[in-house]
Amino acid sequence: MADTLLEVTGLGKRFGGFVALEGIDLTIAKGERLGLIGPNGSGKSTLVNCLCGTLHNESGTVVFAGKPLDGMIAHERTRLGLARSFQLPKPFHSMSLVDNIRVPLLYTVNARPGHHLSDAAIAERCEELLTHVNLADKARRRPRDLTQVEMRKLELARAVATQPTLLFADEAMAGLSHSEIEEIIAVLLRLNEQGITIVLIEHIMTAVMSFSTRLAVLVAGHKIADGLPQEAIRNPEVERAYLGE
Amino acid sequence: MRNSVFWLVIVAVGIAFVVVSRLYLTNEYFYFAGYVVLQYIVLSTAWNILGGYTGYTNFGTGAFFAVGAYSSAVLHKLPQLLHSAFDLTIIPVPLPVMIVVGGLISGLLGLGTGYLTLRLRGVFFAIATLALSIVVQTLIVNWDFVGGSRGIYIIRPAMAPLGGGYIEYLFTLMTALSVLSVGIARSIEGSRLGLGLAAIRDDELAAEASGVPTLRLKLIATTMSGALMGMAGAPLPYYVTYLDPASSFNLAYAVNSVAMPVIGGMTSWIGPVIGAILLGTIQQLATVTISSALNLLIVGVLLILFVIIAPNGIVGLVQGWRRKWDV
Repeated sequence: MADTLLEVTGLGKRFGGFVALEGIDLTIAKGERLGLIGPNGSGKSTLVNCLCGTLHNESGTVVFAGKPLDGMIAHERTRLGLARSFQLPKPFHSMSLVDNIRVPLLYTVNARPGHHLSDAAIAERCEELLTHVNLADKARRRPRDLTQVEMRKLELARAVATQPTLLFADEAMAGLSHSEIEEIIAVLLRLNEQGITIVLIEHIMTAVMSFSTRLAVLVAGHKIADGLPQEAIRNPEVERAYLGE
Repeated sequence: MRNSVFWLVIVAVGIAFVVVSRLYLTNEYFYFAGYVVLQYIVLSTAWNILGGYTGYTNFGTGAFFAVGAYSSAVLHKLPQLLHSAFDLTIIPVPLPVMIVVGGLISGLLGLGTGYLTLRLRGVFFAIATLALSIVVQTLIVNWDFVGGSRGIYIIRPAMAPLGGGYIEYLFTLMTALSVLSVGIARSIEGSRLGLGLAAIRDDELAAEASGVPTLRLKLIATTMSGALMGMAGAPLPYYVTYLDPASSFNLAYAVNSVAMPVIGGMTSWIGPVIGAILLGTIQQLATVTISSALNLLIVGVLLILFVIIAPNGIVGLVQGWRRKWDV
Protein backbone atom coordinates (compact mmCIF):
# COMPACT_ATOMS: atom_id res chain seq x y z
CA MET A 1 0.00 0.00 0.00
CA ALA A 2 1.54 3.27 -1.11
CA ASP A 3 0.06 5.31 1.74
CA THR A 4 0.92 2.84 4.49
CA LEU A 5 1.97 4.58 7.70
CA LEU A 6 2.41 1.65 10.07
CA GLU A 7 3.07 -1.95 9.21
CA VAL A 8 3.11 -4.61 11.92
CA THR A 9 4.14 -8.14 10.96
CA GLY A 10 3.97 -11.22 13.18
CA LEU A 11 4.20 -9.27 16.44
CA GLY A 12 4.35 -11.37 19.60
CA LYS A 13 4.66 -10.56 23.29
CA ARG A 14 4.77 -12.88 26.32
CA PHE A 15 4.74 -12.18 30.04
CA GLY A 16 6.48 -15.27 31.40
CA GLY A 17 4.33 -18.18 30.29
CA PHE A 18 1.36 -15.99 29.36
CA VAL A 19 1.00 -15.21 25.68
CA ALA A 20 -0.30 -11.63 25.53
CA LEU A 21 0.03 -11.20 21.75
CA GLU A 22 0.79 -13.67 19.00
CA GLY A 23 1.30 -13.25 15.28
CA ILE A 24 -0.31 -9.81 15.04
CA ASP A 25 -0.35 -8.40 11.51
CA LEU A 26 -1.73 -4.90 11.14
CA THR A 27 -1.43 -2.22 8.50
CA ILE A 28 -2.56 1.35 9.07
CA ALA A 29 -2.89 3.81 6.22
CA LYS A 30 -2.21 7.54 6.43
CA GLY A 31 -5.24 9.55 7.55
CA GLU A 32 -7.16 6.48 8.71
CA ARG A 33 -9.38 6.27 11.80
CA LEU A 34 -8.91 2.76 13.10
CA GLY A 35 -10.95 1.39 15.98
CA LEU A 36 -9.17 -1.28 17.99
CA ILE A 37 -11.54 -3.29 20.15
CA GLY A 38 -11.55 -6.46 22.17
CA PRO A 39 -12.65 -7.78 25.56
CA ASN A 40 -10.64 -6.98 28.70
CA GLY A 41 -7.26 -8.72 28.63
CA SER A 42 -7.35 -9.22 24.86
CA GLY A 43 -4.01 -7.40 24.43
CA LYS A 44 -5.09 -3.98 23.12
CA SER A 45 -3.03 -1.92 25.55
CA THR A 46 -0.13 -4.38 25.31
CA LEU A 47 -0.15 -3.86 21.54
CA VAL A 48 -0.11 -0.07 21.98
CA ASN A 49 2.70 -0.40 24.54
CA CYS A 50 4.73 -2.54 22.12
CA LEU A 51 4.16 -0.16 19.22
CA CYS A 52 5.05 2.92 21.30
CA GLY A 53 8.17 1.34 22.81
CA THR A 54 6.95 1.08 26.42
CA LEU A 55 7.21 -2.71 26.12
CA HIS A 56 9.51 -4.69 23.87
CA ASN A 57 7.95 -7.28 21.60
CA GLU A 58 9.81 -10.59 21.46
CA SER A 59 8.91 -11.36 17.87
CA GLY A 60 7.73 -9.59 14.75
CA THR A 61 8.62 -6.31 13.12
CA VAL A 62 7.15 -2.83 13.21
CA VAL A 63 7.78 -0.37 10.40
CA PHE A 64 6.60 3.21 10.83
CA ALA A 65 6.76 5.72 7.98
CA GLY A 66 9.21 3.41 6.21
CA LYS A 67 11.53 3.10 9.23
CA PRO A 68 11.89 -0.10 11.25
CA LEU A 69 11.25 0.58 14.94
CA ASP A 70 12.93 -2.54 16.35
CA GLY A 71 15.15 -1.64 19.31
CA MET A 72 14.04 1.99 19.28
CA ILE A 73 13.12 3.34 22.73
CA ALA A 74 9.88 5.15 23.50
CA HIS A 75 11.02 8.77 23.30
CA GLU A 76 12.73 8.13 19.95
CA ARG A 77 9.46 6.72 18.57
CA THR A 78 7.62 9.80 19.86
CA ARG A 79 10.09 12.03 18.06
CA LEU A 80 9.48 10.00 14.92
CA GLY A 81 5.78 10.90 15.06
CA LEU A 82 4.16 8.15 17.13
CA ALA A 83 2.16 9.56 20.04
CA ARG A 84 -0.16 8.08 22.61
CA SER A 85 -2.52 8.98 25.39
CA PHE A 86 -2.76 6.71 28.42
CA GLN A 87 -5.67 4.59 29.58
CA LEU A 88 -5.38 6.22 33.02
CA PRO A 89 -4.46 9.89 32.52
CA LYS A 90 -0.87 10.57 33.50
CA PRO A 91 -0.56 14.34 33.74
CA PHE A 92 2.55 15.99 35.18
CA HIS A 93 0.95 16.85 38.53
CA SER A 94 3.47 19.40 39.74
CA MET A 95 3.21 21.51 36.58
CA SER A 96 0.63 23.93 35.24
CA LEU A 97 -1.34 22.89 32.16
CA VAL A 98 0.89 25.11 30.02
CA ASP A 99 4.01 23.37 31.30
CA ASN A 100 2.38 19.99 30.66
CA ILE A 101 2.19 21.02 27.01
CA ARG A 102 5.64 22.65 26.98
CA VAL A 103 7.35 19.35 27.82
CA PRO A 104 6.55 17.62 24.48
CA LEU A 105 7.12 20.84 22.55
CA LEU A 106 10.61 21.24 24.03
CA TYR A 107 11.59 17.60 24.00
CA THR A 108 9.91 16.32 20.85
CA VAL A 109 9.26 19.12 18.39
CA ASN A 110 12.46 21.04 19.22
CA ALA A 111 14.48 17.82 19.20
CA ARG A 112 13.63 17.10 15.56
CA PRO A 113 16.33 18.10 13.10
CA GLY A 114 15.57 21.41 11.42
CA HIS A 115 12.92 22.39 13.99
CA HIS A 116 13.36 25.01 16.62
CA LEU A 117 10.43 26.78 18.18
CA SER A 118 11.32 30.00 19.97
CA ASP A 119 9.97 30.65 23.49
CA ALA A 120 7.30 32.91 21.99
CA ALA A 121 6.30 30.26 19.44
CA ILE A 122 6.11 27.64 22.19
CA ALA A 123 3.85 29.88 24.31
CA GLU A 124 1.64 30.51 21.28
CA ARG A 125 1.45 26.80 20.45
CA CYS A 126 0.58 25.94 24.08
CA GLU A 127 -2.29 28.40 24.02
CA GLU A 128 -3.46 27.10 20.64
CA LEU A 129 -3.47 23.48 21.83
CA LEU A 130 -5.25 24.26 25.10
CA THR A 131 -7.83 26.32 23.19
CA HIS A 132 -8.32 23.39 20.84
CA VAL A 133 -9.44 21.26 23.79
CA ASN A 134 -11.28 24.11 25.59
CA LEU A 135 -8.80 24.35 28.43
CA ALA A 136 -7.30 27.77 27.65
CA ASP A 137 -8.98 29.41 30.65
CA LYS A 138 -7.29 26.92 32.98
CA ALA A 139 -3.84 27.22 31.44
CA ARG A 140 -2.14 28.28 34.70
CA ARG A 141 -3.97 25.76 36.86
CA ARG A 142 -2.61 22.38 37.98
CA PRO A 143 -4.07 19.07 36.74
CA ARG A 144 -5.57 18.44 40.20
CA ASP A 145 -8.08 21.25 39.48
CA LEU A 146 -9.43 19.47 36.38
CA THR A 147 -12.49 17.30 35.98
CA GLN A 148 -12.23 13.79 34.55
CA VAL A 149 -13.12 14.89 31.01
CA GLU A 150 -10.72 17.84 31.20
CA MET A 151 -7.97 15.49 32.32
CA ARG A 152 -8.65 13.32 29.24
CA LYS A 153 -8.50 16.41 27.05
CA LEU A 154 -5.20 17.47 28.60
CA GLU A 155 -3.87 13.99 27.92
CA LEU A 156 -4.86 14.33 24.25
CA ALA A 157 -3.48 17.87 23.97
CA ARG A 158 -0.13 16.73 25.38
CA ALA A 159 0.02 13.86 22.89
CA VAL A 160 -0.92 16.17 20.01
CA ALA A 161 1.76 18.66 21.12
CA THR A 162 4.35 16.16 19.88
CA GLN A 163 3.02 16.89 16.36
CA PRO A 164 2.38 13.22 15.65
CA THR A 165 1.45 11.57 12.41
CA LEU A 166 -0.09 8.63 14.27
CA LEU A 167 -1.95 8.95 17.58
CA PHE A 168 -3.05 6.06 19.80
CA ALA A 169 -5.96 7.17 21.97
CA ASP A 170 -6.07 4.47 24.64
CA GLU A 171 -9.53 4.40 26.23
CA ALA A 172 -9.76 8.17 26.07
CA MET A 173 -13.46 8.02 26.92
CA ALA A 174 -13.48 5.58 29.83
CA GLY A 175 -15.71 6.77 32.68
CA LEU A 176 -17.15 9.73 30.77
CA SER A 177 -20.80 10.68 30.33
CA HIS A 178 -22.53 10.58 26.94
CA SER A 179 -22.06 14.31 26.31
CA GLU A 180 -18.41 14.14 27.41
CA ILE A 181 -17.83 11.21 25.02
CA GLU A 182 -19.21 13.32 22.20
CA GLU A 183 -16.83 16.13 23.18
CA ILE A 184 -13.84 13.79 22.98
CA ILE A 185 -15.01 12.33 19.66
CA ALA A 186 -15.33 15.86 18.28
CA VAL A 187 -11.76 16.62 19.39
CA LEU A 188 -10.48 13.39 17.79
CA LEU A 189 -12.34 14.09 14.54
CA ARG A 190 -10.84 17.58 14.37
CA LEU A 191 -7.37 16.11 14.87
CA ASN A 192 -8.00 13.58 12.12
CA GLU A 193 -9.14 16.38 9.79
CA GLN A 194 -5.78 18.03 10.47
CA GLY A 195 -4.08 14.94 9.03
CA ILE A 196 -3.34 12.90 12.13
CA THR A 197 -3.99 9.19 11.73
CA ILE A 198 -5.81 7.94 14.82
CA VAL A 199 -6.11 4.54 16.43
CA LEU A 200 -8.95 4.54 18.96
CA ILE A 201 -8.75 1.79 21.58
CA GLU A 202 -12.11 1.73 23.23
CA HIS A 203 -14.81 -0.35 24.91
CA ILE A 204 -17.66 2.06 24.23
CA MET A 205 -19.02 0.63 21.00
CA THR A 206 -21.22 3.59 20.03
CA ALA A 207 -18.13 5.81 20.16
CA VAL A 208 -16.02 3.34 18.20
CA MET A 209 -18.68 2.85 15.53
CA SER A 210 -19.31 6.56 15.04
CA PHE A 211 -15.60 7.39 14.91
CA SER A 212 -13.88 4.56 13.06
CA THR A 213 -13.53 4.04 9.34
CA ARG A 214 -12.06 0.60 9.99
CA LEU A 215 -12.20 -1.86 12.86
CA ALA A 216 -9.67 -4.40 14.13
CA VAL A 217 -10.67 -6.87 16.81
CA LEU A 218 -8.32 -8.58 19.24
CA VAL A 219 -9.26 -11.60 21.32
CA ALA A 220 -6.84 -13.40 23.64
CA GLY A 221 -3.81 -11.88 21.92
CA HIS A 222 -4.92 -12.73 18.38
CA LYS A 223 -6.44 -10.51 15.73
CA ILE A 224 -9.69 -12.15 14.74
CA ALA A 225 -11.21 -9.52 12.47
CA ASP A 226 -10.14 -6.50 10.47
CA GLY A 227 -12.32 -4.52 8.08
CA LEU A 228 -15.19 -2.10 7.75
CA PRO A 229 -16.83 -1.53 11.18
CA GLN A 230 -20.27 -2.86 10.25
CA GLU A 231 -18.75 -5.98 8.66
CA ALA A 232 -16.24 -6.59 11.46
CA ILE A 233 -18.81 -6.59 14.27
CA ARG A 234 -20.96 -9.05 12.35
CA ASN A 235 -18.05 -11.43 12.02
CA PRO A 236 -19.17 -14.68 13.76
CA GLU A 237 -15.90 -14.91 15.70
CA VAL A 238 -16.35 -11.37 17.05
CA GLU A 239 -19.95 -12.11 18.03
CA ARG A 240 -18.78 -15.24 19.82
CA ALA A 241 -16.04 -13.32 21.66
CA TYR A 242 -18.44 -10.64 22.83
CA LEU A 243 -21.70 -12.52 23.27
CA GLY A 244 -20.54 -16.10 23.86
CA GLU A 245 -21.69 -19.27 22.08
CA MET B 1 14.51 36.76 38.10
CA ARG B 2 16.71 35.98 35.13
CA ASN B 3 19.46 33.43 35.67
CA SER B 4 22.32 35.83 35.01
CA VAL B 5 20.88 38.32 37.53
CA PHE B 6 20.39 35.53 40.06
CA TRP B 7 24.02 34.45 39.65
CA LEU B 8 25.21 38.03 40.17
CA VAL B 9 23.04 38.38 43.28
CA ILE B 10 24.20 35.16 44.95
CA VAL B 11 27.86 35.81 44.13
CA ALA B 12 27.48 39.29 45.67
CA VAL B 13 25.73 37.79 48.72
CA GLY B 14 28.50 35.19 49.07
CA ILE B 15 31.27 37.80 48.87
CA ALA B 16 29.45 40.11 51.31
CA PHE B 17 28.92 37.20 53.72
CA VAL B 18 32.63 36.33 53.72
CA VAL B 19 33.77 39.97 54.03
CA VAL B 20 31.37 40.76 56.89
CA SER B 21 32.32 37.53 58.70
CA ARG B 22 36.01 38.35 58.41
CA LEU B 23 35.50 41.93 59.58
CA TYR B 24 33.28 41.31 62.56
CA LEU B 25 33.77 37.72 63.72
CA THR B 26 36.91 36.90 65.60
CA ASN B 27 35.80 33.74 67.39
CA GLU B 28 37.10 30.72 65.43
CA TYR B 29 34.17 28.62 66.58
CA PHE B 30 31.88 30.59 64.29
CA TYR B 31 33.95 29.46 61.30
CA PHE B 32 33.97 25.82 62.46
CA ALA B 33 30.20 25.83 62.96
CA GLY B 34 29.50 27.94 59.85
CA TYR B 35 31.58 25.57 57.72
CA VAL B 36 29.35 22.65 58.71
CA VAL B 37 26.14 24.56 57.92
CA LEU B 38 27.55 25.65 54.54
CA GLN B 39 28.67 22.09 53.83
CA TYR B 40 25.10 20.95 54.41
CA ILE B 41 23.80 23.63 52.04
CA VAL B 42 25.98 22.07 49.32
CA LEU B 43 25.07 18.49 50.25
CA SER B 44 21.32 19.06 50.53
CA THR B 45 21.22 21.13 47.34
CA ALA B 46 23.17 18.41 45.54
CA TRP B 47 20.88 15.71 46.93
CA ASN B 48 17.85 17.70 45.83
CA ILE B 49 18.93 17.71 42.17
CA LEU B 50 18.35 13.95 42.06
CA GLY B 51 15.96 13.46 44.98
CA GLY B 52 13.78 16.55 44.73
CA TYR B 53 13.84 17.54 41.06
CA THR B 54 13.97 14.01 39.63
CA GLY B 55 12.24 12.04 42.38
CA TYR B 56 14.99 9.46 42.95
CA THR B 57 15.86 9.03 46.64
CA ASN B 58 19.58 8.70 47.17
CA PHE B 59 20.84 7.28 50.47
CA GLY B 60 24.42 7.15 49.22
CA THR B 61 25.42 10.74 50.04
CA GLY B 62 28.11 9.40 52.37
CA ALA B 63 29.79 7.55 49.49
CA PHE B 64 30.00 10.57 47.17
CA PHE B 65 31.06 12.86 50.03
CA ALA B 66 33.75 10.44 51.26
CA VAL B 67 35.08 9.84 47.74
CA GLY B 68 35.65 13.61 47.52
CA ALA B 69 37.36 13.59 50.93
CA TYR B 70 39.56 10.60 50.14
CA SER B 71 40.52 11.94 46.71
CA SER B 72 41.90 14.98 48.58
CA ALA B 73 43.75 12.68 50.99
CA VAL B 74 45.35 10.90 48.02
CA LEU B 75 46.31 14.20 46.39
CA HIS B 76 47.69 15.39 49.73
CA LYS B 77 50.00 12.37 49.82
CA LEU B 78 50.85 12.57 46.13
CA PRO B 79 54.03 14.75 46.38
CA GLN B 80 55.44 12.42 49.06
CA LEU B 81 54.56 9.35 46.96
CA LEU B 82 56.14 10.74 43.78
CA HIS B 83 59.23 11.74 45.70
CA SER B 84 59.77 8.33 47.28
CA ALA B 85 58.82 6.27 44.22
CA PHE B 86 60.28 8.31 41.33
CA ASP B 87 62.42 10.90 43.09
CA LEU B 88 60.15 13.53 41.60
CA THR B 89 59.51 16.77 43.47
CA ILE B 90 56.22 18.58 42.92
CA ILE B 91 54.53 21.37 44.83
CA PRO B 92 51.67 20.42 47.17
CA VAL B 93 48.34 20.26 45.36
CA PRO B 94 46.26 23.37 46.18
CA LEU B 95 42.89 22.78 47.84
CA PRO B 96 40.81 24.31 44.99
CA VAL B 97 42.42 21.76 42.62
CA MET B 98 41.54 19.01 45.11
CA ILE B 99 37.94 20.23 45.11
CA VAL B 100 37.78 20.07 41.31
CA VAL B 101 39.34 16.58 41.26
CA GLY B 102 37.02 15.40 44.06
CA GLY B 103 34.07 16.71 42.06
CA LEU B 104 35.25 14.95 38.89
CA ILE B 105 35.79 11.59 40.60
CA SER B 106 32.48 11.73 42.49
CA GLY B 107 30.75 12.87 39.30
CA LEU B 108 32.14 9.82 37.50
CA LEU B 109 31.00 7.64 40.41
CA GLY B 110 27.55 9.21 40.05
CA LEU B 111 27.51 8.52 36.32
CA GLY B 112 28.56 4.89 36.81
CA THR B 113 26.11 4.35 39.65
CA GLY B 114 23.36 5.94 37.64
CA TYR B 115 24.07 3.77 34.62
CA LEU B 116 23.90 0.63 36.75
CA THR B 117 20.96 1.55 38.97
CA LEU B 118 18.68 4.01 37.21
CA ARG B 119 16.63 1.27 35.62
CA LEU B 120 15.50 0.61 39.18
CA ARG B 121 12.77 2.76 40.62
CA GLY B 122 11.49 3.85 44.00
CA VAL B 123 12.68 1.92 47.01
CA PHE B 124 14.91 -0.37 44.91
CA PHE B 125 16.98 2.60 43.72
CA ALA B 126 17.24 3.87 47.31
CA ILE B 127 18.49 0.47 48.50
CA ALA B 128 21.03 0.35 45.66
CA THR B 129 22.49 3.72 46.71
CA LEU B 130 22.69 2.56 50.31
CA ALA B 131 24.58 -0.51 49.09
CA LEU B 132 26.93 1.76 47.13
CA SER B 133 27.89 3.51 50.34
CA ILE B 134 28.73 0.19 51.99
CA VAL B 135 30.74 -1.00 48.97
CA VAL B 136 32.81 2.21 48.78
CA GLN B 137 33.39 2.19 52.56
CA THR B 138 34.60 -1.43 52.39
CA LEU B 139 37.06 -0.47 49.63
CA ILE B 140 38.40 2.46 51.66
CA VAL B 141 38.67 0.38 54.85
CA ASN B 142 40.88 -2.06 52.94
CA TRP B 143 43.03 0.58 51.22
CA ASP B 144 46.22 1.04 53.23
CA PHE B 145 47.49 4.00 51.22
CA VAL B 146 44.77 6.18 52.78
CA GLY B 147 45.11 4.63 56.22
CA GLY B 148 42.51 1.85 55.91
CA SER B 149 40.29 1.54 58.96
CA ARG B 150 42.89 3.36 61.13
CA GLY B 151 42.41 6.56 59.23
CA ILE B 152 44.95 9.14 58.12
CA TYR B 153 46.29 12.34 59.67
CA ILE B 154 46.37 15.36 57.42
CA ILE B 155 48.56 18.29 58.37
CA ARG B 156 47.17 21.57 57.14
CA PRO B 157 49.52 23.87 55.20
CA ALA B 158 51.22 26.40 57.47
CA MET B 159 49.98 29.38 55.46
CA ALA B 160 46.37 29.99 54.46
CA PRO B 161 45.73 31.76 51.15
CA LEU B 162 43.54 34.91 51.24
CA GLY B 163 44.91 35.88 54.69
CA GLY B 164 43.57 34.84 58.08
CA GLY B 165 43.64 31.35 59.57
CA TYR B 166 43.14 28.10 57.67
CA ILE B 167 39.64 27.58 59.04
CA GLU B 168 38.67 31.00 57.63
CA TYR B 169 40.03 29.88 54.25
CA LEU B 170 37.99 26.66 54.44
CA PHE B 171 34.93 28.71 55.39
CA THR B 172 35.49 30.96 52.35
CA LEU B 173 35.85 27.97 50.01
CA MET B 174 32.69 26.34 51.38
CA THR B 175 30.82 29.63 50.91
CA ALA B 176 31.98 29.63 47.27
CA LEU B 177 30.81 26.01 46.88
CA SER B 178 27.44 26.91 48.41
CA VAL B 179 27.04 29.76 45.92
CA LEU B 180 28.01 27.43 43.08
CA SER B 181 25.61 24.66 44.09
CA VAL B 182 22.68 27.02 44.71
CA GLY B 183 23.37 28.78 41.38
CA ILE B 184 23.44 25.45 39.53
CA ALA B 185 20.23 24.26 41.23
CA ARG B 186 18.41 27.50 40.39
CA SER B 187 19.64 27.37 36.78
CA ILE B 188 18.40 23.78 36.42
CA GLU B 189 15.03 24.64 37.93
CA GLY B 190 14.06 27.16 35.29
CA SER B 191 15.61 25.34 32.35
CA ARG B 192 14.57 22.75 29.78
CA LEU B 193 16.54 20.23 31.85
CA GLY B 194 14.57 21.15 34.97
CA LEU B 195 11.27 20.71 33.16
CA GLY B 196 12.40 17.30 31.90
CA LEU B 197 13.49 16.21 35.39
CA ALA B 198 10.15 17.36 36.84
CA ALA B 199 8.36 15.36 34.15
CA ILE B 200 10.37 12.27 35.17
CA ARG B 201 9.50 12.87 38.82
CA ASP B 202 5.78 13.23 38.06
CA ASP B 203 5.46 10.27 35.70
CA GLU B 204 8.33 8.57 33.95
CA LEU B 205 6.21 6.73 31.35
CA ALA B 206 4.38 9.92 30.41
CA ALA B 207 7.70 11.77 30.24
CA GLU B 208 9.13 9.18 27.85
CA ALA B 209 5.94 9.33 25.78
CA SER B 210 6.38 13.11 25.60
CA GLY B 211 9.83 12.68 24.08
CA VAL B 212 11.89 13.16 27.26
CA PRO B 213 15.09 11.04 27.07
CA THR B 214 14.61 9.87 30.65
CA LEU B 215 17.75 7.77 31.07
CA ARG B 216 20.03 10.54 29.72
CA LEU B 217 18.47 13.17 31.98
CA LYS B 218 18.68 10.94 35.04
CA LEU B 219 22.37 10.31 34.29
CA ILE B 220 22.95 14.07 34.07
CA ALA B 221 21.21 14.46 37.45
CA THR B 222 23.22 11.71 39.18
CA THR B 223 26.48 13.03 37.74
CA MET B 224 25.82 16.64 38.81
CA SER B 225 24.52 15.59 42.20
CA GLY B 226 27.47 13.26 42.81
CA ALA B 227 30.00 15.87 41.64
CA LEU B 228 28.68 18.53 44.03
CA MET B 229 28.66 16.07 46.93
CA GLY B 230 32.27 15.14 46.14
CA MET B 231 33.22 18.82 46.02
CA ALA B 232 31.63 19.30 49.45
CA GLY B 233 33.69 16.41 50.79
CA ALA B 234 37.04 17.46 49.27
CA PRO B 235 38.01 20.03 51.96
CA LEU B 236 36.99 17.66 54.80
CA PRO B 237 40.50 16.25 55.48
CA TYR B 238 41.77 19.78 56.14
CA TYR B 239 38.77 20.55 58.33
CA VAL B 240 38.96 17.47 60.55
CA THR B 241 42.77 16.92 60.10
CA TYR B 242 42.15 13.25 60.80
CA LEU B 243 40.17 11.32 58.22
CA ASP B 244 38.79 7.87 58.96
CA PRO B 245 36.06 5.79 57.28
CA ALA B 246 33.76 5.86 60.32
CA SER B 247 33.49 9.64 60.32
CA SER B 248 33.68 10.32 56.60
CA PHE B 249 30.96 7.74 55.77
CA ASN B 250 28.92 8.81 58.79
CA LEU B 251 25.21 8.05 58.48
CA ALA B 252 24.53 11.67 59.51
CA TYR B 253 25.54 12.88 56.04
CA ALA B 254 22.97 10.66 54.32
CA VAL B 255 20.22 11.38 56.86
CA ASN B 256 20.81 15.13 56.94
CA SER B 257 21.04 15.50 53.18
CA VAL B 258 17.63 13.80 52.86
CA ALA B 259 16.02 15.53 55.87
CA MET B 260 17.10 19.07 54.99
CA PRO B 261 15.38 19.25 51.57
CA VAL B 262 12.32 17.40 52.94
CA ILE B 263 12.00 19.94 55.78
CA GLY B 264 12.81 22.95 53.59
CA GLY B 265 10.87 21.83 50.51
CA MET B 266 12.06 19.72 47.59
CA THR B 267 10.62 21.43 44.53
CA SER B 268 12.60 24.65 44.78
CA TRP B 269 16.29 25.59 45.21
CA ILE B 270 15.47 27.58 48.33
CA GLY B 271 14.03 24.57 50.18
CA PRO B 272 17.33 22.73 50.80
CA VAL B 273 19.00 26.04 51.71
CA ILE B 274 16.33 26.79 54.35
CA GLY B 275 16.46 23.20 55.62
CA ALA B 276 20.26 23.21 55.84
CA ILE B 277 20.43 26.55 57.65
CA LEU B 278 17.64 25.58 60.05
CA LEU B 279 18.72 22.03 60.87
CA GLY B 280 22.46 22.75 60.63
CA THR B 281 22.19 25.68 63.05
CA ILE B 282 20.01 23.75 65.51
CA GLN B 283 22.50 20.88 65.43
CA GLN B 284 25.45 23.19 66.03
CA LEU B 285 23.63 24.86 68.93
CA ALA B 286 22.72 21.48 70.41
CA THR B 287 26.33 20.34 70.07
CA VAL B 288 27.68 23.20 72.22
CA THR B 289 24.77 23.46 74.65
CA ILE B 290 23.67 19.85 75.19
CA SER B 291 25.44 17.11 73.23
CA SER B 292 26.24 16.21 69.62
CA ALA B 293 24.61 12.86 70.36
CA LEU B 294 21.27 14.67 70.11
CA ASN B 295 21.81 15.75 66.51
CA LEU B 296 20.27 12.76 64.77
CA LEU B 297 17.43 12.70 67.31
CA ILE B 298 16.60 16.31 66.45
CA VAL B 299 16.64 15.49 62.74
CA GLY B 300 14.40 12.46 63.30
CA VAL B 301 11.82 14.35 65.36
CA LEU B 302 11.71 17.28 62.93
CA LEU B 303 11.48 14.93 59.96
CA ILE B 304 8.49 13.09 61.45
CA LEU B 305 6.79 16.37 62.35
CA PHE B 306 7.26 17.83 58.89
CA VAL B 307 6.19 14.68 57.06
CA ILE B 308 2.93 14.78 59.06
CA ILE B 309 2.28 18.53 59.26
CA ALA B 310 3.95 19.90 56.13
CA PRO B 311 4.84 17.14 53.65
CA ASN B 312 5.87 19.77 51.09
CA GLY B 313 8.27 21.39 53.55
CA ILE B 314 8.50 24.99 54.66
CA VAL B 315 8.36 26.23 51.06
CA GLY B 316 5.16 24.23 50.46
CA LEU B 317 3.69 25.59 53.69
CA VAL B 318 4.40 29.20 52.65
CA GLN B 319 3.06 28.58 49.13
CA GLY B 320 -0.13 27.16 50.66
CA TRP B 321 -0.59 30.25 52.85
CA ARG B 322 -0.01 32.51 49.85
CA ARG B 323 -2.62 30.64 47.81
CA LYS B 324 -5.14 30.98 50.66
CA TRP B 325 -4.27 34.66 50.99
CA ASP B 326 -4.81 35.20 47.25
CA VAL B 327 -8.22 33.49 47.40
